[in-house]
Amino acid sequence: MPDFGDNVDVATFAQILEMDDDEADRDFSKPLVFNFFEQAEETFGKMDTALANKDLAELSSLGHFLKGSSATLGFIRVKDSCQVIQQFGHKLNLDGSPEPDEQVCLAKITEALQSAKEDMAKLETLLRKFFGEGSD
Amino acid sequence: MDVAQPRPSTPGGSAAEDMNYLFRLSPIPSLVLSASCRIAKASDSFLSAWNIHPPARCVGLQLDELLESKLRPGFRTDAASLGALIDAAISAREERTSAPLHIGYVSLWSAKIMPIFNADELLALCLEWRERPNPTSFLDGELISTGLGTDEAFRILVQAVKDYAIFLLDTKGNIATWNTGAELHKGYKKEDIIGKHFSIFYGKEDLAINKPQMELEICLREGRVEDEGWRYRKDGSRFWANVIITAVYKDGVHVGFGKVTRDLTERKASEARLISVYEESERLKSEFLANMSHEIRTPMHGMLSACSLLLDTPLTDKQRDIASIMDESGKVLLQVINDILDYSKLASGSFSINTDIVGVTSIITSVVRSVQATLQPTVYFELFLSADLPKSAQGDPLRFRQIVQNIIGNAAKFTEKGSIRVRASLQAEDRDSYTVMTEVTDTGIGISEDATRGLFTPFTQFDLTTTKRYKGTGLGLSIAKALAELMGGQIGYRPSPERHGSVFWFTVKLRKIKSLDQIQQWDRQASSEHVAAHAGELTPAEKQRRLNDAAPLKSLLLVEDNLINQKVMVGMLRQLGFKNIELAGNGSEAVSIVRAKPAAFDLVLMDISMPILDGNQASTQIRNNGILVPIVAMTAYALKGDKERCLEHGMDDYLSKPVDRKRLTAVLYKWICERDDYRKYTGDLSSKYSHSNNVTRDAEPYVKDIRDVRDFKDVKEAKPSNIPFVSQLGAAKSTKEGSSEEADSSPKDILAAKLSDATELISAKLRSAADIVGENLSSGNEGRSGSNDDLAEWKRSNSTTEGARDEGSNRHNDVNSANDAEGVNGA
Repeated sequence: MPDFGDNVDVATFAQILEMDDDEADRDFSKPLVFNFFEQAEETFGKMDTALANKDLAELSSLGHFLKGSSATLGFIRVKDSCQVIQQFGHKLNLDGSPEPDEQVCLAKITEALQSAKEDMAKLETLLRKFFGEGSD
Repeated sequence: MDVAQPRPSTPGGSAAEDMNYLFRLSPIPSLVLSASCRIAKASDSFLSAWNIHPPARCVGLQLDELLESKLRPGFRTDAASLGALIDAAISAREERTSAPLHIGYVSLWSAKIMPIFNADELLALCLEWRERPNPTSFLDGELISTGLGTDEAFRILVQAVKDYAIFLLDTKGNIATWNTGAELHKGYKKEDIIGKHFSIFYGKEDLAINKPQMELEICLREGRVEDEGWRYRKDGSRFWANVIITAVYKDGVHVGFGKVTRDLTERKASEARLISVYEESERLKSEFLANMSHEIRTPMHGMLSACSLLLDTPLTDKQRDIASIMDESGKVLLQVINDILDYSKLASGSFSINTDIVGVTSIITSVVRSVQATLQPTVYFELFLSADLPKSAQGDPLRFRQIVQNIIGNAAKFTEKGSIRVRASLQAEDRDSYTVMTEVTDTGIGISEDATRGLFTPFTQFDLTTTKRYKGTGLGLSIAKALAELMGGQIGYRPSPERHGSVFWFTVKLRKIKSLDQIQQWDRQASSEHVAAHAGELTPAEKQRRLNDAAPLKSLLLVEDNLINQKVMVGMLRQLGFKNIELAGNGSEAVSIVRAKPAAFDLVLMDISMPILDGNQASTQIRNNGILVPIVAMTAYALKGDKERCLEHGMDDYLSKPVDRKRLTAVLYKWICERDDYRKYTGDLSSKYSHSNNVTRDAEPYVKDIRDVRDFKDVKEAKPSNIPFVSQLGAAKSTKEGSSEEADSSPKDILAAKLSDATELISAKLRSAADIVGENLSSGNEGRSGSNDDLAEWKRSNSTTEGARDEGSNRHNDVNSANDAEGVNGA
C-alpha cells in the first residue's frame, strides 16, 4: 500500500482491501471507494445548502452521516472534519461542553467543511492513482 | 482234495472230515479262500443262497471270477473294493467287513473277511457272507458305490477335505480326530492336538464368557449349534470362523460332538469392504447434497433479492408478471433446496430434536397469522384452539412449528376459495406427557385416491406424483412425517367428509414440565455451561474458525442507513462466512422485518443514528414485541455512556465504528457460538436485559443468591413454621454479624443473610439505574424519549406478557423470573 500520509488510517483501509477477491482488479474496494466519493460530493452539496440556511441540526446529521462512512473506510482527516461539523451542529464544543453561540458554531462548521473538501480532494487524487485512475 | 464229494453223515469220522462236513452244513453262507484267493470251499448255504449249481462253478475259481459272473451289471467295481478290503485285512491281520456287494439283480451281500495265519504264513481266508436288507431304492445304492466300504469312504473323505476343519470331540469336548483341513486351518499337527480341549481355539473374550462350554450345552440341548467368531491358530494368528457343532449319538447314546469349522476371513473382509464403501458413498452423498444446497442457495438468495429489487422499480404490467414469476419460482426452488437439506439430515439420522418449551397455541397462532398474508381473498381461516391445550410443555418448538407451517401452508396453497379450519386439541394426557392433535381441514382441490398412497413416502415416489402437477416441494409432507414421528406422534390424511378438500392431522407428544425444580435445573445447567465456556477461553483464530463453521446456517439482519457502511459490513460478514444477510435501511424497516419474522434472525446488527427511527428506538420496539433476538449496536459515538445507553434500550452488545474485524468476530462468536439460541428457553434471559453491563456483572452473585433464596423458600414451605418476612429481615443483620460459619446456620438464617446482601445489591442496581436516568435527562438532546421508554420498560418487566412467545415473559431480572417460574409450576 502506498503512503497516504495522515489522510488514511492504514489498518482500517487494509481491512477493506482484504475483502477484495483479486488484488489486481479490486472489485470490492474500488467501487466502494468511488461510491464514497459520490456520497461525499453529494453530502458536501447538502451541507452547503444547510449552511446557507443556518440549519445546524441538518448539518449535525449530515456530519454524522459522512463521518460514519469515512470512518469505516479509514479516511480519518475527512472523518475528523465531519466530527467537528456534527459537534458544532449540536452546539457542542469538541470536548462536549455546550457552545451556545450559533455564529461560532456556523463559523467552525464553515471552516471544517472547507478543510473536509480539501482533504477529500487530496484523498481522491491519491486513491484514483492507487486504483489506477478510475475510468468509472 | 475233493471237498465237493458228499460224505456219509456218520459221526466219528476223522477230525478233518468232520470239520469239512460241519463247514458244508454251516447256516452262514461261507467261503474258504486259499492265500491266493482261489475258492477252496463253499458251504451249501452259500451255494444255494447265491444260486450256484453245480458247486464246480464256484469251487476252484478265483474269487474275482466268481464275482464277475455274479455281480450286477454296472457294479463290477464291487469286486475291486472287496479285493482291496481283503488286502487290508491281510495286512492288518484283522477281520474286516465289506460294504454290500450287488449280487444278482436285487441282493446285497457283505462279507466278513477273516484272514487265518499260522505264525506269519497266511493259510487261508474265511469269508462269511450276510445278506443286507435291500435299500429302499436302487438308486440309493449308488451313494456307496465308490469302491470303498462306507466307513472307509467317509473316513477317507473327511481325512482328505482341506477346505473344512472337520473333527470329532468326545463328550467332554476333547479332540478325538483331526483332518487335513483342521491341520491347515488351525496349524496344529494331529499328534499335537488329539486329547486337548477344543477351547484352545478360542480367544480370551470368548473364554471369559465360557463360550466353548456354552456351545456344547446348547448343542446337547438343541442337537446343533452354529457360531461365527474369531478363532486362533497355533501361531496365535486368528481367522474369522463359521463353526457348526453337532451332537453325535451312537445307538442312542451320546458319544461326542462333530465340529466343522470354515474360514470366513475373506468373506468377512469383503463384507467389511462393502460396508465401508457403502458408508463412504452415503457420506459423500450427504456431503454432496449439503454442499450443493449451499452452493445453490447462495446465488438463489442473490437472485431473489435482485428480483425483489426489480419488483420495486417501475415496470410495465407484462414485465411485472414476468418478474413475479421469477420471484415466485425462485422462492419455491429455495424451499425445495431447504427441504432436501432437511430430508438428507432426516434420512441420515443426524437430525436431532431439541428440548425446549413449546407454546402450542402461540406457535399455531403465529403460523396462521403468517400464512394469512398469502391467502387468496376468497379464503378465510377458522382457528379453534381447545381450552385444554397445555400452556407450555417440553418439546422442540421449531420442529413443531415446521410441521404446522407445512400443513397449513399446503392447505393455503391448494385452497382457492372457502375456508381452512385449524383445530388443535389435547388428544390424550398421562402422568408425564400430553399428546396434542392438530387438524387442518381445507376446502381445496383435495387429493385423488391414487395420490394419497404416496403422500407421505420419501421423495423418489413422491416426485412422480405431486410435484410434477403442482409446483411445490413435494418433500414437505415426508419431512413433516419424519418430524412428527421423531416427536413421538403420527401424521395422517383423510378426504374432507363435508365437502371437497383434505383433512391433514398430526399428533406430537410433549412432555410435561413437572416442577419448579426442573426449570431451576435448566437454569443451573445453562449457567454452568456458560462458566465452562468462559473457563476454556479460545484463541481468536479458533473463534474465527468456529464462527466460520456456524455462520453459513445463520441469518443476520444488518440495519445501517449509510450505503458505504452497509457494503463494508456485508463484505466483512461474508468474509466471516455468513451467507444469509438481510438489510434494513432504517430502524423502522428493521422493526417491521423482525416483527414479520420473529424467529428468523440469529442476530441483528443495529446502527444507532439513522433517519426515521434510530437504533435505540428500533431496539426498544423490537423488545416491546417480545422478540429476544440478540441485538448488537454499531455506533460511531465514542462518548462515555453510549454503550450503556444501547444496553439500556434492550440491545445486548456494542461495536464501535469503524468496525474492526477482530472485534466483530469476537462479538459475533460470543452471541452466535457461545450463547444459547434465544429461541430456546434458558434462565439466562432473565439477566440479559438488565440496564447496564456493569450492573449485569455486579448482579451475577445477586442472581445466584436469588436462586438460593428460591431454593430455601421451598424448604420454608416444607416446614410449618412461617416466620413473618419483616422479622426475617430484622434477623438478617444480627445473624450476619453473629455467626461467620454458615455451615452452622439454619436455612432461615442463611436466607436472612442472603436477603440482606440482596437488598444491598438491589440498592446498588437502583443507584446505577438512577445515574443513567440522570444522564439521559441531562443529555436529552440526542432525540431520545428516555423517561417514557424507561417507564414502558418498567411496566413491561412487572407484567406477565402473553406475547407470541411464552418465553417472552421471562425477562428483565431474576425476581420476575422467580415469579414466572412459580406461575409455570402452578399451571
